[in-house]
Amino acid sequence: MISRVLVPMDDSDHAEHALEYALENYPDAEITVLHIVGVPSMMMGDAVGLSLEDDLEKAADDRAEPVIERAREVAADRDREIETVVGIGHPARNIIDRADDYDAIVLGSHGADWNRATRRFLVGNVAETVSKRAPVPVTIVR
Amino acid sequence: MVETVLLVGVAASIFVGFNIGGSSTGITWGPSVGAGIVTKTTAAAVMTFFVFFGGWTVGRNVMETLSEGIVTVDLTLSAGVAVLFFIGLGMLVANVFGVPVPTSMTTVGAIAGLGLATGTLNYATVAGIVTWWIVTPVIGLWIGVLIGRYIYPWVNRRVDIEKSEGPLLRLERRGTVPTPALGPNTTRQEFGTTIAVFVIGCYMAFSAGASNVPNAAAPLVGTVDGLGADTAIIVATLAIGLGGFTIARRTMDSVGGELSDIPLLAALFVMVTASTITTILSWAGIPISLVMATVMTIVGIGWGRATRPVTVREAVTRDVGNAEIELGAIVSEEKVGETAPRIGQPEADEVLRGDDLFNPRAIVKYVSMWIIGPSMSTILAYGFFTVLPGIA
Repeated sequence: MISRVLVPMDDSDHAEHALEYALENYPDAEITVLHIVGVPSMMMGDAVGLSLEDDLEKAADDRAEPVIERAREVAADRDREIETVVGIGHPARNIIDRADDYDAIVLGSHGADWNRATRRFLVGNVAETVSKRAPVPVTIVR
Repeated sequence: MVETVLLVGVAASIFVGFNIGGSSTGITWGPSVGAGIVTKTTAAAVMTFFVFFGGWTVGRNVMETLSEGIVTVDLTLSAGVAVLFFIGLGMLVANVFGVPVPTSMTTVGAIAGLGLATGTLNYATVAGIVTWWIVTPVIGLWIGVLIGRYIYPWVNRRVDIEKSEGPLLRLERRGTVPTPALGPNTTRQEFGTTIAVFVIGCYMAFSAGASNVPNAAAPLVGTVDGLGADTAIIVATLAIGLGGFTIARRTMDSVGGELSDIPLLAALFVMVTASTITTILSWAGIPISLVMATVMTIVGIGWGRATRPVTVREAVTRDVGNAEIELGAIVSEEKVGETAPRIGQPEADEVLRGDDLFNPRAIVKYVSMWIIGPSMSTILAYGFFTVLPGIA
């Protein structure tokens, strides 16, 4: 019985499709949306900017706000409530480290399109890594 | 025939300079443009001037290394043109795949490949350069950590960089002679910091010129058929300026915009550190990548700050509202050594840890590019000049 589903999301359409898929296919499960901020990038701008903040928790929450807000809207459209959690740093490792607390993971096939090569170079393909290493079943939504 | 080769060479040099102009203007002025302190056009104009200044003075030492130091004989014009094509190829790869390929390193690699193929490689010089390539990122990281951990928090509490509405300066017309005075909303500190931001940008532009002008200019210099050093520097500067006025508008938003994610004060520390490292090494004739020094300093600052020790005094002096969070931060610091997952704990108790932001693997990837980039250009140039020895 799948009762807890983790949906890692970035700001891409694919991530939104993943959430929609999870909401439709796990109508009774508790869905947790995870958004990761401070992801490694070309000049490490986001990560370093975050680490220089006095209040890391608040800064991370502020940066995650748009994606979390969008996720809540998507869920609300289907009369559902979701749990949300914000992580920082490397996406794949973040997701895998949390996977034990869930019964399944649903995520988009790839992230936002801008600068895809750069992201791939620095953080790899998140969906690929998670599907290989996660201890629970992983659904990749196209 | 010679004229044709020279023409192709100048075109290749302009292509290389144009791309350098795009990327280095973005890094140099991105933070100040992002903060609204200078416009993109002003940035490009100031960039061009200081790039020229850096190339004309300190850059000559690097040019000497590239055109006379790495190989024991003078470069021929056709070989120089071929080298420029390899530099351009490296940039193309960087642009298409969006990975950081350091131009200075590609250049040295291509010339070294030529030296290997013709048996004229000056091993002592190359060994010296490579040693500095290994030492520099470590120095940059180390300085960054010191700044991030001890200096930045201290300065950040005392300096506030802000941009107020209205012009920075206005003309005071009440006296007999109009004199400049502070603008309507300009505070004395804002005036000071704005000047500092501007001066530091100029300094970085200078170091960009010192390290990057030689990449576009050196391959055409040092031969009977080639250009004179002065002419080559001017051509390279114009090409870099052209890049600064055109494609840099985009790179100031992408690469430079990413630097704007960092507080301006931290970006200024990064710029001063990276420019100083680059200028000193260029002065010593070592070709060094400004981007490399920049990235390592940024990562150093972030990492140094993320792993900073939170003293009890610091936590106590904060107001009560923050005390709880600070307490959590102290606890999290103590748990740094703990690797076992906290199974079954609710998510709400989770404390975000700054050092999670710095995945060693991301840094390893940067370093790998600094090894793969110059190695590839050496191998390609070696193959090229071995197959076509006539060009060398």
